Amino acid sequence: MPGKVNRGWKVWILAGLLVLVLTGSVRAESVSVQVTPDVIEISSFYQGAEIALTGSIPAGYQAVAEVTGPARQERLMRKGRRGPLWMNVGELTVSGAPSLYLVSSSEAGLLTGDSPWGLKALAQRLTLGGQVEDREKAKFTEQFLELKQSESLYGAWPGGLQTSPAEDGRVKVTGKFWLPANVKPDTYKVCLIAVQEGKAAGRQCADLPIKMVGFPALLMTLAFEHAALYGILAVVIAIVTGFIMGYLFKGGGGH
Amino acid sequence: MFMSLYLPISGNAINILLLFGLGGIVGFLSGLFGVGGGFLMTPLLIMAGIPSTVAAASDSNQIVAASTSGTYAHYRLGNVDFKMGILLLIGGVAGGTLGVQLIKVLRAMGNADFVIKVTYVVMLGVIGSYMFVESLQSLRRAAPEARPAAPSKPSVYARLVQGLPWQMKFDKSGVTLSALLPLVLGTFVGILAAIMGVGGGFIMVPVMVYLLRMPMHVVVGTSLFQILFTCINVTIMQAISNHTVDLVLAIILLLGSTLGAQFGVRLSRRLKGDQLKILLASIVLLVMVQILVGLVWPPHLLLGYKGGH
Repeated sequence: MPGKVNRGWKVWILAGLLVLVLTGSVRAESVSVQVTPDVIEISSFYQGAEIALTGSIPAGYQAVAEVTGPARQERLMRKGRRGPLWMNVGELTVSGAPSLYLVSSSEAGLLTGDSPWGLKALAQRLTLGGQVEDREKAKFTEQFLELKQSESLYGAWPGGLQTSPAEDGRVKVTGKFWLPANVKPDTYKVCLIAVQEGKAAGRQCADLPIKMVGFPALLMTLAFEHAALYGILAVVIAIVTGFIMGYLFKGGGGH
Repeated sequence: MFMSLYLPISGNAINILLLFGLGGIVGFLSGLFGVGGGFLMTPLLIMAGIPSTVAAASDSNQIVAASTSGTYAHYRLGNVDFKMGILLLIGGVAGGTLGVQLIKVLRAMGNADFVIKVTYVVMLGVIGSYMFVESLQSLRRAAPEARPAAPSKPSVYARLVQGLPWQMKFDKSGVTLSALLPLVLGTFVGILAAIMGVGGGFIMVPVMVYLLRMPMHVVVGTSLFQILFTCINVTIMQAISNHTVDLVLAIILLLGSTLGAQFGVRLSRRLKGDQLKILLASIVLLVMVQILVGLVWPPHLLLGYKGGH
């Protein structure tokens, strides 16, 4: 077994060196990215948050930035007409869909056509299953993207990144993204990609944790880990409030 | 986005004033008509961006507050027939349990959502139309006060009811009828309420008025009493099995609704029974038309998340 493991490592190292030689002059470390703030906290007054991306790429390159959530399988209902009425007519699944996908670029053309970035490229990576025929898949993929865009969870801003020459001869990249209030607590990735002739030449990612804190976190723990207590508490609060309000209005009567 | 609050169970931020206003309006109607308002609040919350499962469960929670406040106010006015209320409640709990099983079967077969909406349209349509026409006729006849119970000649229904065993006198409502009747009718409303995911007040009120022949002011108080216990049960069940009760959402709604309910109760004493019925009928018909339009109008998107209704 140890011999096998060693051989495996050697093959990987050789393959890595080969990739470095073939990809040429731009190395992965030639792209840098920073996200501010580096942690998003969901507290009682969270209404969504803006994140600012700052990075640098080699001179002469273009930039694409993506904010991506973990991919999961989505379960959806498709609607159809039966007689005069619209109803759910079947279930379908979408695999490989990130929970959040926001993308921006330094040049508008980087997110269109056969680009590997943007919503069109994302659509090609999605797999539809369940009660959907092959000829319907393009239509429902389009519908899925529309659904996500309507919730502000997917979005593309071609030309939304600003670039300017940096002192060290490189290019400074800045951009902003709005994270909607309905993002789920999780660890998201913010990636800056250096692009040459429409292809990724270098890439650097930063983790962006989004976590619930304070009262919302306490409530979630109570609701999921002490569900019965939470239910009784909800009822008691409602009854007490009802009585207090009733008592406060006692003098008013209604006779 | 101004004055928004993050709702952890809903997973979204919603404007506090909007929620408070929604609670107030629905609470007002609750106090006025003796309905829980679930059939109004749940669709309104969904429109405001709350997931449908969370909207229905949190709504039950806020109805507990509104109906506590309403029941208390009506109790002070002497408008709660506890004897009738308890019999209806026993039937309601039995019917609710049966209805939950029925909805499980429907969900397994698919399209429970569609069945729920069609049940809404049929029930709201029938009840709303009947109440509207009946109240209009009554108003035109210019009856001096809220209708007394007994019709002039005994109908088939009246004779059937008189023939039932276990006749019981309900002093507060001023009626004598079989204990079986509120039990059976309570069960029927319980089944429908479970299918439709609401307290069932808007079905219970017409049932009390037309089938149990109770005077309108006692109907409102007794209905609220029955709804209170139904919704306590639903809130705890939803919290345990589905984790869909959003306490923050419910508290904002209930602050609005308990306040609104008090104004509703006050106004209910100033309006005549037929005026109240015609108002409730109009709202019921309006909601029915809205759901019907939703069923017939082509949706903007042909996809929706599974789990919501």
